[in-house]
Amino acid sequence: MHDETMASGVYLPELDVIPARDTTEVHRLRFHGHASDYFRIWIVNVALSLVTLGIYSAWATVRTRRYMYANTTLGGSPFDYLARPLPILKGRLLTVAIFAIYVLAGRIAVPLQGLAALVVATFMPCLIVKSMMFRARYSSWRGLRFFFSEDYMGAYKWYLGVYFLMAIPFILYLLTTAAGHPGIGILLAFAGFTGLYPWIKGHQQEWMVENHHFGGKSFRFDSEIGNYYGVYIKAAGVALAWFVPCLLLFSAVAVYITKGNTQAFNPKMPSPYFLLGTYATMAPAYLGVWTFAHTRMTNLLYNQAQLGLYRFRSTLEYWPMLSLYLTNALAVLFSIGLALPWARIRMARYRAEHLEVIGEGDLSDFVRDAFAHGEIGATATEMDSLLGIDIGL
Amino acid sequence: MAMVPATYFDGRSTHATRVNAWRDEDVLRWRSADDLQEWSAPWTAVEPSARVTGIPFTLRLRDGAHLQIDHDALPADWFPRHHLIERMADWLERRWMAALAGIVVVVVSLFGMFEYGLPWAADRIATHMPASVEHAMGKQSLAALEGRMLMPTSLPPDRQSHLQSVFWHFVNGIHGAPDVRLRFYQAKAIGANAFALPGGTIVFTDDLAKAVPDDAAFIAVIAHELGHQAHHHMLRQVLRSSGVLIVAGMLMGDVTSMGGVAAGIPMFLIDSHYSRHFEEDADRFALDALAQQNIDPMAFVHAMEALERAHPELQGEELRYASSHPLTGERIARATEASTRFRAAHASDGSHASH
Repeated sequence: MHDETMASGVYLPELDVIPARDTTEVHRLRFHGHASDYFRIWIVNVALSLVTLGIYSAWATVRTRRYMYANTTLGGSPFDYLARPLPILKGRLLTVAIFAIYVLAGRIAVPLQGLAALVVATFMPCLIVKSMMFRARYSSWRGLRFFFSEDYMGAYKWYLGVYFLMAIPFILYLLTTAAGHPGIGILLAFAGFTGLYPWIKGHQQEWMVENHHFGGKSFRFDSEIGNYYGVYIKAAGVALAWFVPCLLLFSAVAVYITKGNTQAFNPKMPSPYFLLGTYATMAPAYLGVWTFAHTRMTNLLYNQAQLGLYRFRSTLEYWPMLSLYLTNALAVLFSIGLALPWARIRMARYRAEHLEVIGEGDLSDFVRDAFAHGEIGATATEMDSLLGIDIGL
Repeated sequence: MAMVPATYFDGRSTHATRVNAWRDEDVLRWRSADDLQEWSAPWTAVEPSARVTGIPFTLRLRDGAHLQIDHDALPADWFPRHHLIERMADWLERRWMAALAGIVVVVVSLFGMFEYGLPWAADRIATHMPASVEHAMGKQSLAALEGRMLMPTSLPPDRQSHLQSVFWHFVNGIHGAPDVRLRFYQAKAIGANAFALPGGTIVFTDDLAKAVPDDAAFIAVIAHELGHQAHHHMLRQVLRSSGVLIVAGMLMGDVTSMGGVAAGIPMFLIDSHYSRHFEEDADRFALDALAQQNIDPMAFVHAMEALERAHPELQGEELRYASSHPLTGERIARATEASTRFRAAHASDGSHASH
């Protein structure tokens, strides 16, 4: 019997029915969306949002998200997006105001922007919790909602506190440099950084997963911290493999553009060719590395998670993901954004088809949990979509 | 009585029950496929989801339970008065004509917003901005540049004082001239150049002071920068480009999720589109001011030519794209035109005088 206790001390109801099965079933997620349907929904909603000066965008968000959620099915049942437009609109207006103040502050007085950034950084963990709560609260499957614990302590620990640890390699570097060994200092700092970063990322995932709950059960996370070191060591290799040829290409392009005349290069107002050249040569490298880390981290996230009797298996692969991202980016770029719905549908399909829920049950053994599902404001989730906080789910 | 196939979830577990639902006057009833169980709910307590192409309807009942009905299976007359706005949106979303119209609407409204709406709004804000803000901005940007990009001038003091007196003579001659001051700097990084900072400071580099052939050409450059000052171009540009960033941020954060790279290019193009208009504005101001003070606008052409000589790398095709300044050729053509007008007017003035 599974009476699980959680950090918040809430006891979940005991299950009265445990399906006695000895065969393991694999439930694959499926995505049924069509690019043509989604394109029409998307373009109509974008147009309506623009002509209403953004007011309708809240309704647009709900409709497009519902399309994506409801077309993702598990065990034949769709997911559901339950958020209401009005709270989203309120959150969005507040976010625009904050963002506008931030941008203007930067143009008028840089210290003001620094202060604003500091304030945002202090509230970031809070924002992350609120945003996760909102997402979980308004996502449901078979009539049960997801839930995210209000664990601010954990958020401050893993999304702010640990970054102070990052100062240690930096201080080491300063000390050794002061002692006259800048080379050793750089090595030490680098070692410290590479030693800490995967550890932080691993614990962030653990915190994220273990605070999620569904159907009377808490997600559990059996993480092996070594896995994260593996991912980031390989990512460093991938980065090297991408950046060396791209840098060579970039310098060739740079020499060609400035025609060897370095005097002509004006850092304040570089020529558009130079900017385009920089983007064109460095973007593939960035995409190549980012995709690798993202793919492997997503796999780790699901493969180490567990919900009651069920495990997950995520089998995203690097090259298919990279070709998806690359073709999507090119298509969106060359269609001035019109290919965006198609790009999203392809990505959703690939991701769904590479995620499986494995367990002995038939997925009907989840029950409503004892949490109070109150309404949650949408401001945090709007902020994080604007700031692009990498929450990693 | 139409039977509608549905799936029932009681809201307490993830168990799915296949049912058939039907409407019985003011009551919604549904019965399990094996006929063993039957449920009902008052019609007014049922909360249907809005229609979206291709996805099932959810009829929410009390206590978290819901019935899920396939997209095409819900009878049209069941909930005719719900979600009126979204009903209209759905009507549009199902039509390719509406999608095509949507593309046109998006293009037109984006164009309208960036060409007219945003500049208009930014300029409204700029006129209500206290002058102290503009001064603070100028002071701060100058402080950021001094000692890095801008070094103390190496012009001989008598050359400086000569140019200053020419500057003041010109500025005092302009009716309603903005509150300005002229500063010389040595700036290797930007070469022969002059620019206006918010709040009235005009920065003039040593290289440019050496490159201008005569006082008239010097005044032509000054007149252009005065145009920027008189029309508060720097503040307006800052507000406009902040507006672009804010609007783009909202667009990207919401309807798209393109990377910053893809977003950077259009933002850059829009910004330089605005500043190009400001440059044309400043040119117009300069040509008028020169003519007003009896200086042949040909001086502007001489200044342009001196700038071109000082910046050989900017010649040719490169300037054509996304340049913040209008093409030099166009500017020279306009200045020559102004000069021709000036000479014609002067010639007639002269003939009047001789009579």
